[in-house]
Order: sequence, then C-alpha cells, then structure tokens
Amino acid sequence: MSSIALEVRNLKKSYDGKAILDNLSFIAKVNDFSVICGKPGSGKSVLVRTIMGLESVDSGEIIFRGKNVTGDDAGSRNIGYIPQSFALYPHFSVRKNIEYPLDLIKASVAEKNDAVTRVSDLLNIGDLLSKKPNELSGGQKQRVAIARGLSKATDVYVLDDPLVGLDFKLRERLIDDLRRSQEELKVAFIYITSDPTEALSLAKSVFILAEGKIVQQGSLEDVYDNPTTQSSMSTLGFPEANFISGSISDSIFQSDIFKVKVDVSLSQKNVSAGIRPEGLLLGEHPDAINVKASLVLMENLGSEFAVYLRVGGTQLITVVSRSDEETLKILDSKTFTVSLKPDAISIFDANSGSMIGKGLSNV
Amino acid sequence: MYDIILKNVTKKFGNLTAVDDISFTIPKSSVTVLLGPSGCGKTTLMRMIAGLDTPTSGQIFFDDVEATRVPTKRRNIGMVFQYPVIYRGTSVRRNLELPLLSEKLSKAEITKRVDEVAELLGLTDVLSRRVEELDNGTRQKIAVGREVARQPKIILFDEPITNIDITAKLELKRSLKELFSRLQQTIIYVTHDQTEAMTLADQIALMKDGLIIQCDSPKKIYESPKTEFAGWFLGTPGMNFVPQEFLTVQDSSITSPLFSQKIELGAKSKIVKTLGVRAEAISVSAQEVKGTVNATVLRKSIGVGGQFLLDLAYGPLLVKARVPHALGRSIGEKVWTTIESQSITFFDEAGSAI
Repeated sequence: MSSIALEVRNLKKSYDGKAILDNLSFIAKVNDFSVICGKPGSGKSVLVRTIMGLESVDSGEIIFRGKNVTGDDAGSRNIGYIPQSFALYPHFSVRKNIEYPLDLIKASVAEKNDAVTRVSDLLNIGDLLSKKPNELSGGQKQRVAIARGLSKATDVYVLDDPLVGLDFKLRERLIDDLRRSQEELKVAFIYITSDPTEALSLAKSVFILAEGKIVQQGSLEDVYDNPTTQSSMSTLGFPEANFISGSISDSIFQSDIFKVKVDVSLSQKNVSAGIRPEGLLLGEHPDAINVKASLVLMENLGSEFAVYLRVGGTQLITVVSRSDEETLKILDSKTFTVSLKPDAISIFDANSGSMIGKGLSNV
Repeated sequence: MYDIILKNVTKKFGNLTAVDDISFTIPKSSVTVLLGPSGCGKTTLMRMIAGLDTPTSGQIFFDDVEATRVPTKRRNIGMVFQYPVIYRGTSVRRNLELPLLSEKLSKAEITKRVDEVAELLGLTDVLSRRVEELDNGTRQKIAVGREVARQPKIILFDEPITNIDITAKLELKRSLKELFSRLQQTIIYVTHDQTEAMTLADQIALMKDGLIIQCDSPKKIYESPKTEFAGWFLGTPGMNFVPQEFLTVQDSSITSPLFSQKIELGAKSKIVKTLGVRAEAISVSAQEVKGTVNATVLRKSIGVGGQFLLDLAYGPLLVKARVPHALGRSIGEKVWTTIESQSITFFDEAGSAI
C-alpha cells in the first residue's frame, strides 16, 4: 500500500476573482500526525471544505489513497471528520451519538459494537456510554464528540480546528488524547488550526498555509529550525518571532535599532530580519548585538515569563525562565541591555517573503 | 477603599451549590483574581459582591458595613464585562464622561477626570474619535476608563480580555497591568486563564466546586501548591503526578522509579499517596550519568520559546519533562534523568500537600 494518504495538487479556488486557494499542493502520509497551520484568513476553512468534498474546486486534483476524487461527492470519500463545533444529539445516549456516523453508512450491529468499544477505550469514556449529553461535564462532551468523529473505521481523519475556544486545561488533556489516538490507530490525522501552540504540541509533520498556498512542509523540528519563508517563522512559534525591517548593503543588514553582518552579498532595500524570542538574551553578551531596551510587560506563563521589550520604536519579545533569578533581576532597571544572537537571525525578502540569508556576526 | 469580607457565603441554584460556605477577605487596594475552571463558582461569587445575585445564606461586608442586600447602584462599585459596553454614535470622550454628568460634578472636574483616565489607558489620541471606528480592544479600554473615571471604591472585571481579538489582547493586558499598578481601588478580576491571572494578580484565589482552595501570590501558588488541583491547574503543562502504585515506602523513606535517591520523610512518609513534580524540575541528560535513572522518550513536542517537551516513560509510569531546544533536538529514544528532592511536592489521600 502507498504510504501517501492524501495528495493535493495545484488546487485553485477563487471567489469573485479573488484567489482563496492559490496553486496549493501538499502530501499527507499514512501513520502521521499532519498539522496544517495558517493564520486567520490564510484559506484554512475553504481548504477543509474542498478536501471533504463540500466545495468544488476551480482546478487541481485531490487524491485520496492514490485515487483521484476531485469531482466525487463527500460521502464517497471515506474520510473521518471531527468538526470545529461539537454539537451532540441531546436526546441520544453517548453510545447512540458515537454510532451515528455508522448509521449513516448503514453499518451492521457488530461493526457498530466494535467501533464503540474501540473508540471508548481510546478516549476513556467506556463508563459513560448509557448517559445522555446533559449528564456529562464539558470535557466529557468533547471526548464523546471526538470519539464520534473517530467511530468510522477508516485510514484518514480530518480534524477541523476541534479545540478552538476550549479552555486551556481541557485542551492540554485533549492534546494528549489526540496524539495517543493517532499513534494507536496508526492512521493519517490531518489537523487544521490557526493556533501555533496546538501545531507545536500535536504535529509530527507540519504544513504552513499562507495566502492560499502551502509555503513550507516538513517535520515539526525541521520547519521550526529552518523556516524558508517569513510566514513559516511567524506562524510556527510561541511566542511569535520578532521581525525588524531594514535594508542590506555591503553584506550588512541595517535597521533602526541594530546592524549585523549577513551572508547576503546583493544590496537590497526591502528586507526583514526575523529572530525568535529565544534568540534574544537579557544582559550583555560578547559577540552578540547589544542594544538598550526598556520593559513593556512581563507575562507570567508559569515556568517562564514572556518579556515584552521596547528597543527604540520597536517592540520585541523574549522568554526568561522562572528559575533564572539572576536574569530576571536585570529587568528591575529602568533600561538594560538585550543582546541578539547573530546566528539566530534569518533574513527575508520583504516582498516575496522568502528567506535569503542568515546573520553572521556583530559589526 | 474597602476590604471585602465574605462570611459563610453560600449560593444555591436549585440542587446545585455554586458557592459553598465561603468565608474570605479580599484586601483593599489590591488585585485579587478569582481563577478556576468553568462551573467553579467564580462568576457567581463576583455577582454577589456586585449585588447582581443575592446569597442564599451568609453575609458580605464592605469594611464594617453589611452590603449583602444593598442594591448594586448603591454599592459604589464599577463593573467591566466580557463584551465591551460602549455608547455607539458618540465620541470616546462622550463615552467616558456620560456617567459623570449625573454626578453633580463641575465641568472642570469632569474634564480633568476624563483626561486623566484617557492618559492612564493610552486613549488621549482617540478622545475625539467615534467609538465604532475603534477595534474591540480599544472599546474595552473605553469601558474600563468609564468605570475608573467614576472613582468607585471597588472595580469588578468579568473576563474582560477573553473575547478581545488576539491582535489587541496584548495591548489591553499591558494597559490593565499598568492601570492596576496606579489605581488605589480594590480590584476583583474573574478569569479561567492562568496566564492572565498570574500576570495581573497580587493574589490569586483559586476556586473549585464552589470553594476557594488556595489564595496566594502568583509565585507562591505556582511554586507551593497546597493541593494536587492547584499543581495541575497552574502551569502548562500542569504538574506531573506519581500515584501510589509507583511509590515504595520503607522505614520512613520513599523510593520511586522516577528517581534514584531515597527520600527521607520521617513519620509523614506513611500518609504520602502521590508525588508532584513540575516538568522543568526533571533534569535530562542524553548520556548515562551516575545517580540517574533511565527513561524512554515516547514523544517530543515544542513548547514556549522553542523548549522541547518530552513525554517520558519509566516503565508504565508516564511524565512530562521540559528541556532546552538544542538538547531536545539531539536526544534519541533513551535519556537519563534526575530530580532534586526539594523540588518534589508530597500529597496525602485528600490531595493536600504535606
């Protein structure tokens, strides 16, 4: 069997002359947790609807398990679907709710029983099967809804932003449940979200969606460490990476707040330097670019603080560990030094968004 | 400004006890955040302080004056809600001064208060703009400003950031933090978001099932949770728990597959039922080091600031550990770990810290 669960080739879809999906291509593999991550407005919901067969495409191909299904209707695609909103049928028991997608495809009683056992074990809801939705807590309801989405035995499941709007403690638990479910079922999960923390905590493979295109795909770690576009760097990371606009001449990047030697020889007027929060260090460091900063806000994340700084007219963010008391003391001064690590800087063409080089050293 | 004193306050809705016999003092001129999951009673408690709900039993005092049944408008409080309340079709200045017009203040005093509060919240430049031209974060600032300008003794905030656009959230948070540091009012702030709570609070009152289970500074409540629930609720991820089946108590000391040392606890060791360890308290090494224990890496994911979060298995015992990016990138399937004894919290049968 092919290891490709879903291949999307050159998908195009426009509304009123505006391209929503713009020559979009990607490949999602079997036994992989693929997360498509894009900011609001990047084309996520239209992409989901075309994959599911709820929306036609202008051109391009949608290929499930090696078979072109582009014009086929939704019911024939054999995809499991876990939607954004979790409405359970209030008059059905948990068992009936889970069986519902199987009733639609006229599954036998034995098949339904097998499915209920399988998903209720997976999501630990075996003792809730005879209850009605209004007897369940919020977290239990979400689990039942996920179980219902997984009840159809297939090899590809589309998860359409299923954790959006849930409180963060519930999300933490469901993230573990979803990862374990994918690993145990060994199927393809294709998960769509705009939340970088969900992408970072769920994905094995990640696909960055920006302006209707997949601009980068790869393993989570590779995309995080080697973003090839500014969209990749800004979409995948928490807190979001810092971007500083400037220009390059004589292999020097120059902005309002710092300069750095870069491996780009061509002069360019319109570029952007990206640096992740962890590329900024409080206090002075040799060989780094040291600039003066003042404190805007410390956000207390628990084990870390997200520290928002002002350098000249630019706001930058860095992260400091709670246990690093010496570094936290630096923030007591009205102004202090913050250093940017040259090798943590990526240079992007501000027009195309492509990465064109890296920072080399202090000048 | 007022201390707010709750004496045996209970609120029932039919069979449901939303607030369960709470006796508690909210100190004046400080920021108290009521934090907890949905259904914990935090909003009901705030509504009783506001006078929007009446307790089924118990009393509420503002300093030494009983307020239990005093109508909302005579309580001298301000309120900010989830969705910004604004008066459309008028300017920001008009929005801020409207409640002041009925308070028999001089024109000069009204102008002074509006200018001051606009300055505090960074609204000076938009005072003459119409409110519908502004994003909902700025609208929420207007709603906050209107309450502050009235100069009540208490200001209540009911999840004021929750429904604000993500792009405007940070600015609103920064603005509230700055505002709170300058105000003298008693502030009560309700949220389910631990980050917001830890960022804005002087003290966090953590609620569960209608009770306040711990009230401490953000630092104290994170570092010294009094219950398993507090350890789990604060932090992303919450504290790891090692249940009794993975603990061996022998001669007043405790061992576990999670660490190599014997921890001496004296007589207390007999009542230990669970251990709690934060993800960042587990030191991870890619090589075998003396005094460490072996673990299998089941999963890796990326957390705040590029740190790796590891799902580790010690046989059937699963825990999460947090490591720097470079180490997370380089490790394989096997790691070796240690935990310092003093970073372990011990809980008894009831889930209370020992």
